Amino acid sequence: MILATEPSLSDVYSVVEEVWTTFLGPDEPIYPAGAEQVPAELGGYDAAITVTGAWQAVVLVSLPVPLAEAITRAMLGMDDEEALAGDDLTDALGELVNVIGGNVKSLMAGPSKLSLPLVARGPMSSSSSLVEACRLDLGWRGHVLTVIVSVPANPTSEDPS
Amino acid sequence: MHALIIDDSRTMRSILRRIVTELGYETTEAANGQEALDALEGGLLPDLCLIDWNMPLMDGYTFVTRVRAEPQWRNLTLMMVTTESEHGQIVRALAAGAHEYVIKPFTPDAIVEKLELLGLAAREVPA
Repeated sequence: MILATEPSLSDVYSVVEEVWTTFLGPDEPIYPAGAEQVPAELGGYDAAITVTGAWQAVVLVSLPVPLAEAITRAMLGMDDEEALAGDDLTDALGELVNVIGGNVKSLMAGPSKLSLPLVARGPMSSSSSLVEACRLDLGWRGHVLTVIVSVPANPTSEDPS
Repeated sequence: MHALIIDDSRTMRSILRRIVTELGYETTEAANGQEALDALEGGLLPDLCLIDWNMPLMDGYTFVTRVRAEPQWRNLTLMMVTTESEHGQIVRALAAGAHEYVIKPFTPDAIVEKLELLGLAAREVPA
């Protein structure tokens, strides 16, 4: 039997779509961004979570500042004009990548464990031992965000316990 | 009715608070299992705990096992609300004494339905 080491693009899209709809409402669904819409640098926030165990990966969500702020306000039930507190963004984006990462993990053979999420202003440096297995460029409210699943170039299985 | 919401994400606590407040609950929040345990040891006696799994200091599974080891909290209803969706983990949490298990992301209706099953929520029937 051959076990998949990476999730399919369509499965990851379904996960992100479901998370988006559940957290942010069904009125404004996420959509695939055209290649011409994707900037070289999003210049906003990176949120990442690591999966260890039988399946190993890093799930990364990159998004520009206006989108990060809109998502945070929506998740916190705030008005568009309401000011965000200092750590609102990092908390909301951390929870967003936690839920996306957890649901991507559930697509793969376990047992595996999730780390606590990390959120950074600007691009996070990526380990050279990881390769991009899956990349989604998506649009929401006219902005582009990227979801990337990276896996080890030479996977080894770890005991998650 | 009183709910203790245990999650390291303030955003998730806020989402859950909005849902249970609509049902008439008062709420207390804790950012990890240890904080929640401290609140219980300090005399807080909620009807319901909504518990994340992955948290710093003390995770939700450990919190469930610690609560279930204390007879004075045997009537406390424990509901896991987590991204952890592996079958083995769900079984482990339920075996440890959690009453229900909700996987994130969830709709408000999913939480309300679970609470109805537990007899901890009643939807208003239109006249």
